[in-house]
Amino acid sequence: MNQDTAARPATQAGTSEGIGYFARFGVTERMIAQTLATALARGGEHADVFFQHRVGSDLGLEDGAVNRAYATVELGVGVRVVKGDQTGYGYTEDLSLPALLECARTAAAIADGPSRPIPERLHVRAGLPDRYPLIRPWEEIRPQEKLPLLAGLNERAFAADERIKKVNLFLRDESGAILIADSSGRIVEDRQPMTLLYLSVLAEANGRREQNGYNVAGRAGFDFYSPERLDRVVREAVARTTILFDAVTPPAGEMPVVLAAGSSGILLHEAIGHGMEADFNRKGVSIYADKIGKRIAQPFVQIVDDAANAGARGAINVDDEGNDAGTTHLVQDGVLTTYLHDAISARHFGVRPTGNGRRESYRHAPLPRMRSTYMLPGPHRTEEIIRSVKKGIYCMNFSNGQVNIGAGDFTFYVKNGYLIEDGKLTRPVKDVNIIGNGPQALERVDMVSDDLAIDEGGWTCGKDGQSVPVSQGLPTVRVSSMTVGGRGS
Amino acid sequence: MSDLLEITRRAAALAREKGATDASAGSYRARHVEVAWRDGKVEKVSEATTRGLGLDLYVDGRYAAVSTSDLRPDALDRFVEDAVALARTLAPDPHRRLPDPELYRGQAKVDLELDDPDYSKVDATRRRAEAEAIETAARAVPGASAILSVTTSVSDTRSESALVQTNGFEGERQGTDFWIGAEVAVQDPDGRRPEEYAASGGRFRSAMEAPEAIGRRAAERAIARIGTRKGESAVLTMALDNRASGRMVGMLFGPLAAAAIQQKRSFLEGKLGVQVGSARLHVKDDPLVPRGLGSRLYDGEGIAARPFPVFEQGVLKSYYVDTYYGRKLGIPPTTSRSSNLAWALGGRSQAQLLADLGEGVLVTGFLGGNSNGTTGDFSLGVRGFRVRGGRLAEPVGEMNVSGNHLELWNRLTAVGNDPYPYSAMRTPTLVFEGVQFAGT
Repeated sequence: MNQDTAARPATQAGTSEGIGYFARFGVTERMIAQTLATALARGGEHADVFFQHRVGSDLGLEDGAVNRAYATVELGVGVRVVKGDQTGYGYTEDLSLPALLECARTAAAIADGPSRPIPERLHVRAGLPDRYPLIRPWEEIRPQEKLPLLAGLNERAFAADERIKKVNLFLRDESGAILIADSSGRIVEDRQPMTLLYLSVLAEANGRREQNGYNVAGRAGFDFYSPERLDRVVREAVARTTILFDAVTPPAGEMPVVLAAGSSGILLHEAIGHGMEADFNRKGVSIYADKIGKRIAQPFVQIVDDAANAGARGAINVDDEGNDAGTTHLVQDGVLTTYLHDAISARHFGVRPTGNGRRESYRHAPLPRMRSTYMLPGPHRTEEIIRSVKKGIYCMNFSNGQVNIGAGDFTFYVKNGYLIEDGKLTRPVKDVNIIGNGPQALERVDMVSDDLAIDEGGWTCGKDGQSVPVSQGLPTVRVSSMTVGGRGS
Repeated sequence: MSDLLEITRRAAALAREKGATDASAGSYRARHVEVAWRDGKVEKVSEATTRGLGLDLYVDGRYAAVSTSDLRPDALDRFVEDAVALARTLAPDPHRRLPDPELYRGQAKVDLELDDPDYSKVDATRRRAEAEAIETAARAVPGASAILSVTTSVSDTRSESALVQTNGFEGERQGTDFWIGAEVAVQDPDGRRPEEYAASGGRFRSAMEAPEAIGRRAAERAIARIGTRKGESAVLTMALDNRASGRMVGMLFGPLAAAAIQQKRSFLEGKLGVQVGSARLHVKDDPLVPRGLGSRLYDGEGIAARPFPVFEQGVLKSYYVDTYYGRKLGIPPTTSRSSNLAWALGGRSQAQLLADLGEGVLVTGFLGGNSNGTTGDFSLGVRGFRVRGGRLAEPVGEMNVSGNHLELWNRLTAVGNDPYPYSAMRTPTLVFEGVQFAGT
């Protein structure tokens, strides 16, 4: 990643000019400086101001017509004051100076001491990486350009299989801008595009119904929707639905679980990712607390949390605290290397922030969060892994997962998969939850293939009432035993 | 008249000026304060007054919905203009219309008591004192030496909203809510750090339990998790704790939405008047409960709120029908989403129900999992306690339950006398026979 930290003055002349993107809302360097000074007036150690403008547009197709559109605008600012592990936070939709100062006073009340100075001049941080370059920004794409895409997909989904009875489509695009200024005098700006396309189909045969879908997402522009990607959306949505007519519910109990390459990265997100978020470890409530430097998996297991996958939904150029965001190695050669830090936890542990300080919006203070979490390729072959299982389950597609941070128990819900019988994929399976314990499941990862795939789906991670976009990936992996929440024996 | 209603009227008028045939405008303003406390000190204080505006635009038979927090007049002007233009690019949709104004009439003449006059008495000192008192109580329970961390929270909100629809509806409402809660993590000698929580809240401060009670309960629950093991895979009777049962009930109620019915994504399609559960499944939707968390005089579409039966002795009596999908289906609207649920309660406490069931599992929490609304199949991670000889035995976790709702609700054999007061679903303890558990 680009580590340049070249700095330039925030404004070329004077201190009252509008600043960067937010100049259009009347935000000036002087306002920011006054806000930061007020924020530290009662002895806070660190303050930051987070401006956000996010414009979203959704088009929906139902019953054959694009007949609904949704537009959203979020504009606001959050002011944070930190003292040790303590945080004061205030936010407002009003970007005027009096409103900013009111937020700053609210946040400042977390501390109780003499005021601290802020630098005389603020500096705009230059040289950020460019992980989501756009050919055309979304603001320039007219609805008339998007409508045929949805109409075409609708037609193709119906044409793909006569059992398809309902098609729902959603196309979302987002243009986001953030500006973070902090009491070290640093100002960082980023423009964050996002798009997501969801195709859901309902199929009917012999009086039975099945529903499933496929979605793709990324920090990208309209050109994201290449003919190949759109082909895949239709093909996958239809195949993932129609196969359910032949699917059985797997047996209940412990058995080997093989995770297909791609969205199976949900295993990492739940089994280790959340547990490695440093706030839980700072508080001593994670099952991974005190485990840094310890072997937790086979030596061929390498796990990263990566901000740098260009165009990925989980990619960021900079985190929501203005810190560099790159590739963080959670597990190297089976050994736990580092937690995922925000600024508070990094100070607590005396390490550099890892660029994991993220927030849903200006209404929330940042927390350590994942970005794109995946396992690097390993030494085994996919065929060899499937062949090795006498009786087990092969998991392909997922809808959701969850974890208890301290107990370590986690789950993921399988929408599509297969039974493995005598080393072969046999009958399709559906709708089954799989449950395990994080450290135990990682210990039991005993085969890792070389076919790493980062999933292109629109994953959203929830924590403390905040949702952030993430990505995940995995090569084909065998976990020697987990509990499969099926029925029968 | 409040300034919020005036803002909302202006937004609806603006929509018409910009070319909308009809519009529904809704705006809100809320003040939210939250104190989080952890291990002897304040962890975080968040305080803000927030606002927003939403518009549903009906433009020459076409429809777009927009929302914004940027209420500067110029920006709003442009935003509405763009949204109307956006709507014009879409396909017409004959089913999109404001509700029949007849449905606005007949609002109940009752005071729902949703706005606590004592709201103004809460200040920063009091919130901190309560947050601290929760922790102190948690750390005073027997076995507290196992406690690793106690996080408590005290929060309150006062919100105002207004709704204006251009075919003759205007409404405004104010409300408060207050919440306290605790999360306690404990050290299990086996290396795990199980965590449990307790919470209490309501529209009025007086609805809350004492902070000490919440601290104690969270700590006792967390300590009770020590020694959790995975139980064996088996078909067993399942008692669902009143706090947990809302998740299962939600999975039954979601497919009652007219949108799910019309889009063929509901296992309850075609089941009106049909027995889908045992006679114990008897639930009314009641929006008019004084101080109820889901109470309202009118719904999000301005439709006057009325109680109606959802299940009567296991027979499905009504869907949740909004104006749009009601028109698509050709059936009259009820309301778009549930308010408060009122259950026909049983006469027995949870302890008595456990004594009756003898052998089984008391599920106290879910972990992930999902339910397929189209087929009714579900599979959910669970934790709880084994029940042996009618009494709580060892804690179990890392287990799963699975089945199909159309079977499950027919196996509902008992309903407790203990509606959970801190959720609008007000679910009691529910007992189901013959549930598949997966474990070892």
